[in-house]
Amino acid sequence: CEQIIQHLNHKIPGVNTAELCQRIQTSGIDINVGELAKIANIVSFLFSTAARNSLSAEELITTLGNTVSALPKHAVQVIRHVWSEQGKSVSVSEDARNLATVGQFVDIKWKLGVAMSSDTCRSLKYPYVTVMLKVADPSGQITDKSFEMTIPQFKNFFRQFKEMAAVLETV
Amino acid sequence: MAAPEQLPPPPEGSKPLSALLNGIAQATYYGNADITEELLRGQLYPEAAPEEFRALRAKMSGLLQSIASADMDLNQLEAFLTAQTKKQGGITSEQAAVLAKFWKNHRVKIHESLINRSRWDSSLKTMSWRVDLKSQSRHMDQINTPVAIVEMELGKSGQESEFLCLEFDEAKLSQMLKKLSEVEESMTGLTQTT
Repeated sequence: CEQIIQHLNHKIPGVNTAELCQRIQTSGIDINVGELAKIANIVSFLFSTAARNSLSAEELITTLGNTVSALPKHAVQVIRHVWSEQGKSVSVSEDARNLATVGQFVDIKWKLGVAMSSDTCRSLKYPYVTVMLKVADPSGQITDKSFEMTIPQFKNFFRQFKEMAAVLETV
Repeated sequence: MAAPEQLPPPPEGSKPLSALLNGIAQATYYGNADITEELLRGQLYPEAAPEEFRALRAKMSGLLQSIASADMDLNQLEAFLTAQTKKQGGITSEQAAVLAKFWKNHRVKIHESLINRSRWDSSLKTMSWRVDLKSQSRHMDQINTPVAIVEMELGKSGQESEFLCLEFDEAKLSQMLKKLSEVEESMTGLTQTT
């Protein structure tokens, strides 16, 4: 819950579900990353809806109780506690929806390789760059996206980012 | 690649062979499924018997495959073709000349098509970007902050693309540029290929 509030407040780019899942598992609870991601999404939606409607902790819990019947008591208590402590700091404005599909760049890893041969060509000698982007999607999940570029593609990629930086400086 | 004007004009009889090689390349390397053996025989060697044509086509395909697989440079090509003219059941020096000219003109394109066959991971198909000025924000300190919004189209060949849309502020752009410079630096260590 705390990580989700931090994410909604833009203090962190996202919820590191993989890491959280490991921590939860080591404390003896059986859960997989997919399930944890769903829970994170639901709680995030809960908190951002509460923020948008400026609900107090009591109002949030009452509404929750009216719509969802099977929530365990301690889960409700945790939600109420986190919301009453930190709910006021979350304010979700309308333009958030415009950026709904934009993710946050977190990190980049790269590899430069040369493919020597293949089943269709004995002498390939083809250099390429593989890039792994760490991305936080709008709901806060951090995922890795990897892709390959030829050398000319990479040079173009680099050039575009330099152009972006130049434009950003003049704005 | 040698400019065609520098080579002596090919004798008349080589035109069908040149077209045959073209047809073979279309079918084998450029993915043109319409070029069948029948079509080629009918258009280029109408007087030849089917088995005779099949043998010619197989021989030329085989030679082209050896040349393409080794991505031969001019020296290797000359040595290879000369050896083929001296072989029993090999090729004539006229045919060798046609093959040489064909390879000079098509080497890069055929090599590229072979490279593409071994690219199985997602690649960057297109990329576009714009710079936005954040005029409204949840946090006062983000007012009038320029950000770059980048859209990358990723995908494997033949499959639907995934569009990745990312936001970069100045700090993140610097981070990106720093890493990309590292890549460029290590590229200078690569020996030049074609």
